[in-house]
Amino acid sequence: MDEKRLTMLLRDRDEDRRAGADIGGRLCDTCAEVLDVSGAGIMLMSDGRHRGTFGVSNAVISVVEELQFTLGEGPCIDAYWSEHPVLEPDLGRPASNRWPAFSGPAVGVGRRALFGFPLRAGTGSLGALDLYVDRPGDLRPDQVSDAIVLADVISSTVLALQADAAPGTLAPALDAGLTHRAVVHQASGMVAAQLEMPVDDALVRIRAHAYTDGRPVNDIARDIVMRRLRLE
Amino acid sequence: MADRETLLNETFVALADTLVGDFDVVEFLSMLSSRCVDLFDADDAGLLLADEHGHMQLAASSSHRMQVLEVLEVQHNEGPSPDAYRTGVAVQCPELREATERWPVFAAEAMAAGFRSAHALPMRLRADVIGALVLLCPAPGPLPERDIRAAQALADVATIGILHHRAAQESRLLAEQLEYALTSRIIIEQAKGIVAERLGLDVEQSYETLRRYSRQHNRRLVDLSRSVVEHDFDTGVLAEH
Repeated sequence: MDEKRLTMLLRDRDEDRRAGADIGGRLCDTCAEVLDVSGAGIMLMSDGRHRGTFGVSNAVISVVEELQFTLGEGPCIDAYWSEHPVLEPDLGRPASNRWPAFSGPAVGVGRRALFGFPLRAGTGSLGALDLYVDRPGDLRPDQVSDAIVLADVISSTVLALQADAAPGTLAPALDAGLTHRAVVHQASGMVAAQLEMPVDDALVRIRAHAYTDGRPVNDIARDIVMRRLRLE
Repeated sequence: MADRETLLNETFVALADTLVGDFDVVEFLSMLSSRCVDLFDADDAGLLLADEHGHMQLAASSSHRMQVLEVLEVQHNEGPSPDAYRTGVAVQCPELREATERWPVFAAEAMAAGFRSAHALPMRLRADVIGALVLLCPAPGPLPERDIRAAQALADVATIGILHHRAAQESRLLAEQLEYALTSRIIIEQAKGIVAERLGLDVEQSYETLRRYSRQHNRRLVDLSRSVVEHDFDTGVLAEH
C-alpha cells in the first residue's frame, strides 16, 4: 500500500465519520480490498472477553465472528491476548491444534486460512482485525505489513469515535455492534440468577448449550429471555 | 572528563528511550538539564514546558539557583526562555549587562546569581513549540556554534520524546475509557437479566425498575447494575419500585 492510498483511505474514513456512515463496515470492505483477502471483520474486546463486532465486510465473516464469540477461541482472540499477529495459513491442516473446537466448523463453512491482527492501543489491545481467505496459503510479507498498518488505522478510529462519547458511555457507532449481543448478556443474567452462579459462568453454560445444539448463541439466549428455555 | 563525543552520543540514546513503561517526564528533563551542564560551557541549565493554555511551567533545573531564575522567568514572563518559546528560534544573550531593558527582572537577578550570558533554544517539532531549554554561563560571550547546534539537536530529540509520550498517554487514557464503557454496557444487560429473573419481569420492565431505583436513590445505573451482578445488592428491595 503506497502513501497515496493510505492518505485516500484516511480521508474517506474521516468523511464517513462526519457523515455518521457504517464506518466499521466500510473499514472492513477497505481491508478486504487493499489486502486482497476474501473477508475482514473487526472484533472489540474488554476484560479479556469478546464484546461485539465493530464491522464485517460480508456475511461469511460474520460466521467466523460468531464462532469465536460462541467458543471463546480462535485467531482473533489469540491476537488480542498475545498482541501479535496470529497467522493460520491452513485451518484444515494446522501446524498445531490451537483451536480444537473452532477449526472444524470454520473449515466446514469454507474458511481455509485465517489471520488475526491485534488492535493495539495504550498498553494493550482493544480487539482484533480478522482476515480470512477461502483457500489455504500464507499472506505475503507486504500483506502482513499492510494489515498491521490497517489495524493501527482501525484502533485510532475506534479511539477517536470513543473520544467524542459522553463520559462513561459507549460511542453510538461502537454501541451498534454490541446491541446485537445484548440479549446474550441478559440471558447470562437470567441463568446466573436461576442457577445461582456468576454471570461469566452462566455465559459459558449458554455457549456450551449453543455449541452442543449447533445453534447460534443469540437464538439460545433469546429462548432463555423469552422463557422458552431453561438451562438445568 | 569523558570524551565529549561519547557523552553526547550517550545523551542522545538516553533521550530516545521514552517508550519505557515507567517513563517520567520530570526525570527525563532533569537528566537533559544536567547533561547540558556537562556538555557545554554552561554552569546551569533549565527546561520550561508550556501547559495546555500556552503558559510556561517549570519542568527541570540543574540547580536550586537555576530554579529560582526559572520561576522569575515564568512569573514575569520575561527572559531568554519565554522569548525562545514565543519566537520558536534560538535566543542568544552574550552579555546580560546589555539586557537590563529587555529583561529588567531576569537580567538583574541572573547577574546577581553570578551569570554573565544566557542562551535559550526552543523545544520545537515543525510548527509545534512546546517549551524552551535555557543555558546560563558565568562568562560573557556567545556560545560556540557547534554547541548551539548540539544543544538544539538534544532539545529536538527531547521534544519528539515528549510529544510521543503525550500521544501514547492520551491513547492509553482513551483505551481505558473504551474498556470501561464496553464493560459497563454489558453489566447493565446482565443486571437486567438478573432482576427480570428474580422479580418475574420481562427485560424491558426490569430495565425500567433499575432506572427508576437509580434515579430515586441518586445512584448511577452502571454502579447499581454492578452491585446487582456482583451480588452486593438485595434485588428484593427493587420489588417495591
